Amino acid sequence: MSAANQLAALIANMFATGLLDDQFQQLQMLQDPSAPNFVSEVVTLFCQDGERIIGELAKQLDKPSVDFDRVDAFVHQLKGSSASVGALKVKNTCIQFCELCQQKSKDGCLKTLETVRINFYELRGKFQTMLQLERQVNGFPPNN
Amino acid sequence: MAAAEARGREFPVGMKVLVVDDDPTCLLVLKRMLLDCRYDVTTCPQATRALTMLRENRRGFDVIISDVHMPDMDGFRLLELVGLEMDLPVIMMSADSRTDIVMKGIKHGACDYLIKPVRMEELKNIWQHVVRKKINENKDHEHSGSLDDTDRNRPTNNDNEYASSANDGGDGSWKSQKKKREKEDDETDLENGDPSSTSKKPRVVWSVELHQQFVNAVNHLGIDKAVPKKILELMNVPGLTRENVASHLQKFRLYLKRIAQHHAGIPHPFVAPASSAKVAPLGGLEFQALAASGQIPPQALAALQDELLGRPTSSLALPGRDQSSLRLAAIKGNKPHGEREITFGQPIYKCQNNTYGAFSQSSPAVGGLPSFAAWPNNKLGMTDSPSTLGNVGNSQNSNMLLHELQQQPDTLLSGTLHNIDVKPSGVVMPSQSLNAFPASEGISPNQNPLIIPSQSPSFLASIPPSMKHEPLLGSPSPSTSLLGGLDMVNQASTSQPLISSHGANLPGLKNRSSNAMPSPGISNFQSGNIPYVVNQNAIGVSSRPPGVLKTESTDSLSRSYGYIGGNTSVDSGLLSSQSKNPQYGLLRSQNDVSGSWSPSQDFDSFGNSLGQGHPGSTSSNFQSSTLGKLPDQGRGRNHGFVGKGTCIPSRFAVDEVESPTNNLSHSIGNSGDIVNPDIFGFSGQM
Repeated sequence: MSAANQLAALIANMFATGLLDDQFQQLQMLQDPSAPNFVSEVVTLFCQDGERIIGELAKQLDKPSVDFDRVDAFVHQLKGSSASVGALKVKNTCIQFCELCQQKSKDGCLKTLETVRINFYELRGKFQTMLQLERQVNGFPPNN
Repeated sequence: MAAAEARGREFPVGMKVLVVDDDPTCLLVLKRMLLDCRYDVTTCPQATRALTMLRENRRGFDVIISDVHMPDMDGFRLLELVGLEMDLPVIMMSADSRTDIVMKGIKHGACDYLIKPVRMEELKNIWQHVVRKKINENKDHEHSGSLDDTDRNRPTNNDNEYASSANDGGDGSWKSQKKKREKEDDETDLENGDPSSTSKKPRVVWSVELHQQFVNAVNHLGIDKAVPKKILELMNVPGLTRENVASHLQKFRLYLKRIAQHHAGIPHPFVAPASSAKVAPLGGLEFQALAASGQIPPQALAALQDELLGRPTSSLALPGRDQSSLRLAAIKGNKPHGEREITFGQPIYKCQNNTYGAFSQSSPAVGGLPSFAAWPNNKLGMTDSPSTLGNVGNSQNSNMLLHELQQQPDTLLSGTLHNIDVKPSGVVMPSQSLNAFPASEGISPNQNPLIIPSQSPSFLASIPPSMKHEPLLGSPSPSTSLLGGLDMVNQASTSQPLISSHGANLPGLKNRSSNAMPSPGISNFQSGNIPYVVNQNAIGVSSRPPGVLKTESTDSLSRSYGYIGGNTSVDSGLLSSQSKNPQYGLLRSQNDVSGSWSPSQDFDSFGNSLGQGHPGSTSSNFQSSTLGKLPDQGRGRNHGFVGKGTCIPSRFAVDEVESPTNNLSHSIGNSGDIVNPDIFGFSGQM
């Protein structure tokens, strides 16, 4: 199967499994000759930033006395960025996370953080594959 | 939408949008979308840097889109500041769709609130907000001042707003927005519009001469009886409308009120303290107006002063004195955002050179002599009646202050008043160099211990030859401290000094970002932060040894901070000169002479607060040095405020008083300047 086909199949699959929503399509539509790498840029940025935020969340929740406001702020940030790229599953988990922050439940937050982490890494894996395939489609050898 | 107008017909194509969001992903997506809408997009990941950019280039943007949750500054805070200082439409944005947060955004004046993910369709429509705001402004402006009662209402209104804001940050915010609007209206009156400009509303430039005529008319009628109509008749200036006068009168009243309050607040030998100790910063408006074009002839000033002096605070026919007290109170402390309340500081003033920030502090002491003269061009925070005291008569204020400090007989004071020259340029100082204040001599009329003429060339240039004493301006050498070693900052805007010296702990002191330091800093301080004193321009710093404030300040700076012996009320308001200066036509010195510092609102309180609340900075430092400290950029710029001549009340405390470049580098983005985000009063708490 050609890289292009693989790419298309991958993306379709991500939509089908609820990893992505139509916001991602909006991003795809925004890509044009004037911004040929837009999608890959956004995706890369999201992957990097998301990881950072999750790290921050873990740190915050690791404290003996958790500052839920800060946790909330980070969660909202993750929510915002995942919403902006169309990362549906991650976004939904963030929404749950927010609820637990409001309740100031450390346990609940920790659990949800785990879920977020899992979902995020799942998505990130697929994004990375996507980026690789895209490079191939564009004539570059696959990255590692 | 200057930019839009310039571009002409194609609007909204090319509309200038500034996007502020700490989330890089969102920033990128939004940028792409906005570009697709054919807007002109600038992105900024840091709110503080964005604020600097805005302050530097007020007209460079048509609309702001800002995230709510940001690490260096609360989005609502940015919203307020932008609204107050620049009056640009701000659209909030967040993944947080909770109703209470959205409500908060609306209350703080957001034009709109978008929930992430933001869709293209929503962005395509944002131009409506720009247009709508313009239309509303025009409408308000046209209606402004149409009736006397409107004017009457305004001060009250404003006061109420201040008060309310003070008491209730959240709810008050919308009022402040309203007030902002009114202010905007007022300002438009004063805005300098080219005679040939095609603006719809002719703007009156309140030049010194014009203002003097105004003051004469008011004096003639008696402040109590001065109604716009009669003033207009007396002035007999062709082309001047009743509305212009009404609006100017309102500002003037605010100014007087403020002065009065200063009197009241300060145990001034000359003035029996009547009202609350807190002095509300005089609306820089008055100052600005006064200083608008430069200097006010001494006689006008004297006359004014006489009038003011002659009346005890209570007697000043200023409406709502209580309100002003309220305001002061509000400003002083409760509001985290100082800017709005402006008690001293009026909203962030952009002072070009806050060099004079130094004097603001003393202003309270001055007993509110309306030193109209003192407004140097800069937009000393006067935009909104910033520490008018500070500005106006810096000389007066300083003199007063000195007097107070030195416990000079009243005569000195009155003597000074008359002699105060209005000096253009933000430096409040009367022509005197700092040296003029030898303690032994008391305060000479033109000496403004507090005010240290910045060396900025512009300032110097503006110093009238009539200055009696050797001009402080430009005297690099540190002036001998007036009060017990207060050094006036000769250099450029000082303001920062207070704060910066401490290693930038002082909130808002950072001058660097000059823009960043809005006078609010002063107000913010109320909450325990650095009091106004901090205001970038370190005005009226207490007698602490100078140089404390600025950590980086150059030698000159450190030396020159003058303090006021005892009270260090820094008027942050004074420092910021710019923020709405343009409207008043304040003299803007090139080098950003810092505009007016709002006289530290509460002179006393600052002094006290200085000692305390400054985050990390020892208030004492402020006091002493700030007075005169003008950030020394060599240009006499007030670091306290914004580098480029925008003085931002020390709230934003730029840490470096002097930046190598004249333009206070608004290195907000690097947040290097911001030592303590809390200074801004933002820390997310409104």
